[in-house]
Amino acid sequence: MSADTTAKLPWFRRSYRNFSLEEKYAVLGMILIAPTVMTFCAVIAYPLIAAIYLSFFSIYTPTMEGHWVGFSNYATLLQSGEFWRSLWNNIIWTVGTLTLQILFGILVAMMLHQNMVFRSLARSLVLFPYFLSTVVAVLVWKWLFNDLYGVLNHLFMWAGVIDMPVDWLGKMPNAMLSLIFVGAWKYFPFVVIAVLARLQSIPEELYEAAKIDGAGVFARFFDVTLPQLKDVLVVIILLRTIWDFKEFDLINLMTGGGPIIATQTLSLMVYKEAFALNQMGASSAVAVLMMLVMLVFMALYLRKAKGPSE
Amino acid sequence: MSLKKKSRRVLFNLFAWSVIGLIAFPLIWMLVTSIKPQSELFLIPPTLLPSEITFEHYWRLIDETPFLTYMKNSIILALSTTAVVIVIATLGAHSLLRFSYPGRERLAQLVLFTYLLPSVVLIIPLYFLMIWIGLANSLISLVIAYTTFSLPYALWLLRSFMAAIPDDLESAALVDGATRMEAFIDVILPQALPGIISTALFTMILAWNEYLYALVLVNTDESRPLTTGVMSILITSFNIEWSLLMAASVMMSVPLIVAFVFLQKYLTRGFGAGAVKG
Repeated sequence: MSADTTAKLPWFRRSYRNFSLEEKYAVLGMILIAPTVMTFCAVIAYPLIAAIYLSFFSIYTPTMEGHWVGFSNYATLLQSGEFWRSLWNNIIWTVGTLTLQILFGILVAMMLHQNMVFRSLARSLVLFPYFLSTVVAVLVWKWLFNDLYGVLNHLFMWAGVIDMPVDWLGKMPNAMLSLIFVGAWKYFPFVVIAVLARLQSIPEELYEAAKIDGAGVFARFFDVTLPQLKDVLVVIILLRTIWDFKEFDLINLMTGGGPIIATQTLSLMVYKEAFALNQMGASSAVAVLMMLVMLVFMALYLRKAKGPSE
Repeated sequence: MSLKKKSRRVLFNLFAWSVIGLIAFPLIWMLVTSIKPQSELFLIPPTLLPSEITFEHYWRLIDETPFLTYMKNSIILALSTTAVVIVIATLGAHSLLRFSYPGRERLAQLVLFTYLLPSVVLIIPLYFLMIWIGLANSLISLVIAYTTFSLPYALWLLRSFMAAIPDDLESAALVDGATRMEAFIDVILPQALPGIISTALFTMILAWNEYLYALVLVNTDESRPLTTGVMSILITSFNIEWSLLMAASVMMSVPLIVAFVFLQKYLTRGFGAGAVKG
């Protein structure tokens, strides 16, 4: 039978008509994914490879002309204080804001898990900052932080915490602390919603059993709630580390990296090198180094995310 | 027992709502500032409730600044990005879920990886690319750039929505003699519609809020979206007019509130694109 003999040939030696149904489905599947793959190649894979390639050049942004310099961009960067300072700032910002997000997120999630009046309104109000455009969040907070007419200074002076208006964004360590705080306000709802979903799936019997054993509120939290939340928290922390580490909008809009470079993170350095100092090559090198740092967390996350679904 | 329990509940509610009040305060203050008369803005101490409500700042925003142009651009951007992304992602998600071919698993992983990629890494080559193909300073350049983050997001979210549709539905249609494409259009798509709509809304929100690409790729008022547009109002004004900026902030947030209300049911999913659950 000719159909049998052709079926034994590898697929690329046969015409589509001789494909088995399964093979025809595979072809259809590949056709359906083709637009995705092509878009990915054009707007993600190509720029990603180009970024690495460009980091070996010295390029003047306005003319876009440049020449091959090998690893010299990297060598200059690794010897410059600014790169290490930005990396350090990046770590401080990420650790600081992430810690606040997690602590505050768990607390508010547990609060929203309780019975309270107008709970769904409360939930919406808590979650909304996450949806807000960063531009709006920054404008509002800049107005709150305003040194002459800002509400925060009034409030703190009225309460007797400070005697003079505080410069929240123009001085260190205020600028970094303000950033960390606003970042926590903007992004903690992510923790709230993920934790809340998990809390709702903890079986009530666990708490009942702990109560019978005489566990108080705190014991129940540390012995029942926290172990149940552990897995979800690991994933949340990995995701938020990645997202906070690459944050650009909030920092650029709040302080622009200032005073001088005291709050400049790697994302901001990439932007500054490329579009303020006109050094595209050096900027790409910063971007590549930044991605290398992030790759560690991405790999960890991808392993975690893959695990439970299989 | 009831009195002690009752007072504890009242206390808890008071505490919980003051925490929520603090969280929401910046947003309340934004709204209050935007409807205060200019004269009341600099009173010391500041007034929580304005003595009279005025919409003058909103009118001035529309009359004296290019706010409406920015808004038009933002709407066009959000809609076209979403349209492009949803079509590609629906086909892609269906393929990733219900077909088997070599490299499929790897591809799904790759989608998640690109979803985590920092925009600043892609932005320089994209900037080159846009100038090279002559699209710099256009809305199209932004639509292309926005697919870099919205396509992985939409694909991942849609995959999680569409995975919930039982396989039997499609099998039944195939037994009835439908081709796979017919089964996709007649059976899967209607089932996936709520998921597609909410993914579309989430994608629109992402595009509406985007800032970095808009900052780098567009430098003219004609094609600036709201995010960078409102910031340019801030930068170009001699003395910062906070009531004007707060009015702009409120206007920028209204579409988000509308979307938010529609998305109540799907918030947990859309937040991390199901990324927390994996």
